[in-house]
Amino acid sequence: MSLLVGSELKRDYALNGQPVHALRGVSLTIDAGDYIAIAGPSGSGKSTLLHILGGIDAPSSGQVRIEGRLLASLSDRHLTQLRLTRLGFVFQRFHLLPMLTALENVELPLAEAGTRRTDRRARARELLEYVGLGARAGHRATQLSGGEMQRVAIARALANRPALILADEPTGELDRETGQEILDLFRRINRDGATLVVVTHDDRLAAEASRVIHMQDGRIVG
Amino acid sequence: MLLALLLLPTGDPAQLPAQEVAVERRLAGELGLRVGDSIRIGPSPDSLRMAGIVAAVYEPRPDPSGIMRRDKQIRMHLPDLATLLGHPDRVDRFGVSLRAGIAPESAAARLNRAAFGYRARPSAEIAAESSQTFLVVSRFHRAIGVITIVAGAVFLLCIMLLKVEERRLDAAVMRFVGVRRRTIFAALLLEAALIAVAGSAFGVVLAWIAGAATNAYYQRLFDTRLVFSLVTPGIVGFSVALSLLLGLGAGALAAWRLVRTPPMVLWGRA
Amino acid sequence: MRIGWGIRNLARQPLRTALSLLGIAVASAMLLDMVMLSGGLERSFERLLLGRGYQIRLTPKGTLPFDTEATLSRASAVIAEVRADTGVAAAGGVLGGSLYARRGDSLITFFGYGIDPSAQALYQVTRGRDLAPGDTLGIVLSEAAARALGSGPGDSVSVAGGLDPQLATAGTERRLQVRGLVRWLYDYRGQRSVGLVLPLMQRLTRAGADRASVVMVRARNDAEVAALAARLAERHPRLEVSSVADLVQQVRDRLVYFRQLSYILGSVSLIVTVLLVATLLAITVNERLGEIATLRAIGVSRLTVVGQVVAEGTALTALGAGLGVALGLVTARYLDTILTSFPGLPAAISFFVPDGRALAIATAVLLAAGALAGLYPAWLAARAPIADTLRAEAT
Repeated sequence: MSLLVGSELKRDYALNGQPVHALRGVSLTIDAGDYIAIAGPSGSGKSTLLHILGGIDAPSSGQVRIEGRLLASLSDRHLTQLRLTRLGFVFQRFHLLPMLTALENVELPLAEAGTRRTDRRARARELLEYVGLGARAGHRATQLSGGEMQRVAIARALANRPALILADEPTGELDRETGQEILDLFRRINRDGATLVVVTHDDRLAAEASRVIHMQDGRIVG
Repeated sequence: MLLALLLLPTGDPAQLPAQEVAVERRLAGELGLRVGDSIRIGPSPDSLRMAGIVAAVYEPRPDPSGIMRRDKQIRMHLPDLATLLGHPDRVDRFGVSLRAGIAPESAAARLNRAAFGYRARPSAEIAAESSQTFLVVSRFHRAIGVITIVAGAVFLLCIMLLKVEERRLDAAVMRFVGVRRRTIFAALLLEAALIAVAGSAFGVVLAWIAGAATNAYYQRLFDTRLVFSLVTPGIVGFSVALSLLLGLGAGALAAWRLVRTPPMVLWGRA
Repeated sequence: MRIGWGIRNLARQPLRTALSLLGIAVASAMLLDMVMLSGGLERSFERLLLGRGYQIRLTPKGTLPFDTEATLSRASAVIAEVRADTGVAAAGGVLGGSLYARRGDSLITFFGYGIDPSAQALYQVTRGRDLAPGDTLGIVLSEAAARALGSGPGDSVSVAGGLDPQLATAGTERRLQVRGLVRWLYDYRGQRSVGLVLPLMQRLTRAGADRASVVMVRARNDAEVAALAARLAERHPRLEVSSVADLVQQVRDRLVYFRQLSYILGSVSLIVTVLLVATLLAITVNERLGEIATLRAIGVSRLTVVGQVVAEGTALTALGAGLGVALGLVTARYLDTILTSFPGLPAAISFFVPDGRALAIATAVLLAAGALAGLYPAWLAARAPIADTLRAEAT
């Protein structure tokens, strides 16, 4: 069974009174272990597609199934639970909580899932070691560099052992060298068995992926 | 001296001939008295030895000092009261009206030089002394007012800082495109001034409404024509001036804090 | 246990948090003061009235103790009848009036209390000794009276009553020995008061024989005060029988203004606190919408988001209220100093009296208000569409 199936996805919304057709009938399948890059110019619908695949936005029409479950049939509570336990998100602007330490930021989804304190602490430390930030566990998010913050965000996304990681422009706010560190990390994560879907403008990241989906004007063009 | 009134004669007949009395409106209402009714009066409940006839029902001058005690009054001819109290030809005080141009203080001094067994005092002096209670209440109100102003000022400053900080991204973009600090400062100050003026006007209306409600309530409660809350032009002027000052001050402080922050810090990138 | 990221947000903008805390502290202080004021005078007055255990007072009809110059007649008979009731532990008459003494060329006026030393509730001896029952040669003085006379325990003083103001002569004069100095419980600050046995006071003043201003009654059993007062009122229809509860009610009626003021200002303080917390949280939540949307995206539930924001508001209110308690006690003292300068107010009276239960309720209401103030902005934030918010943040 495919991990994720998206069928004839359309997404329309109004922007300043004008209709926007962000997706015009997109279909795709993602299998376990895939490393997929979604590329295309600005406004092509990449992020909208990612949001719909991750259940944080609903399509105007079409359907998404994750591990056989139809997202449209899930309540908000179940969708949230799905995102917590089966999906991981990485965003362009990291969005760590600045008053928490790196360790606490990684612990956050574990705490939300009800993991015991000792267990979640151990898991968080393990993940920070994995992303190379074991020595920075006690630092507040505001004390980390851009690359370090993104690595903490990746560790956070891995916290509950998700089936699928969705990343939206993960290197968008980083310089070239730091961006390369993130690319290396994604490669390692995928090699270790994680399924990745990455929206990106970055050619290097697209080159790393096993499959590249090109989008334009809300359609897959290649 | 306490005077006790009974509505109709009961028990022993009056020992003194019937005399005319005037009864204040509220007391007449409480006892159901009308002009022509008979009453009995005495210095104690077991000594109601004078018969009276209600000659008039009158509205007493509102007296703040008696309002809380809810005193009730009657008026009698002086000799009648003195006789009733067993002190004929005695009074508590004289009231003296002076000819035009005579100062009360000099008249009192002259009387006191010749005084034997009494003391003359200008009415203003007595009024000041008997107003001590109200001076205490005034001081209390002023203290509450000061505390309220301090609370309001802190609240205002807090809100202004928050609202100005909300616009930090806009301010950063303006600085990026070359708008000068003083222009941004002036714009924020103008906004603060407009809000202060509008707030002051609203406050004046609110004060007038609250004052009217206060007077209506307490005049009904104490059945009096006394004015309890007075919004004077002076009070309005002072309050508006103070609120404008505080509003502009808070706005200026918040605006100054915003314009002195580097635009990249405002943007969140530094 | 969840991580308290909501509360930690308070440290994100120290100046903003500090100002908000200050605003909440001032509002809380005002609320605290108004709670103390709302029943403070009554509590203080009740404590004063019950201080010596005399729960009932009999006065001329329609008057309160020492409210007027009226006196009741047949005082000794009334007292004997009252004492005959099995519910009465003690009863004593008090006659108030003006007495005079000379010091050099000055004529000094005193307030005189004629009392029964075996059944009095008006003073406590501070120096020397008390009057003995029937002691017609003794007198007790307040500290202020003693200073005015330049006398102390053991000294002799001449006091006069029934002064004719026109002739400046006294009707009756007596030379008495100062037995002791006493603290008169109902005197205002600096009041010059003296105490004599009741029969002597009746002779000195023009009040007339066997008259008293008030008869004070102590019940054997606190639980039966109301029943005893009712019996005495029935037996003495021409007298005003007032229990402590009645007197407190009278004071409450006379000073209804302060109670109403306390309710109004207390309500305003609560509203200010709610407004301040709600505004602060609304703005800070608005600033953190992207962060909150991300948290929702990674699986944090709406309930958790709401809970954390409400916790932030509650923590802010709690900290502000803590500061407010300290500030409120200081301002209460200052305001009490103003109000207790009312002329003629007993020195033992306070307007701002803490009541543990009322303060606890007020604090609980304040915290609940702070929590509720955060509820709406928190819910709005939790309900914001995640994708739209993230899209807006990216642009």
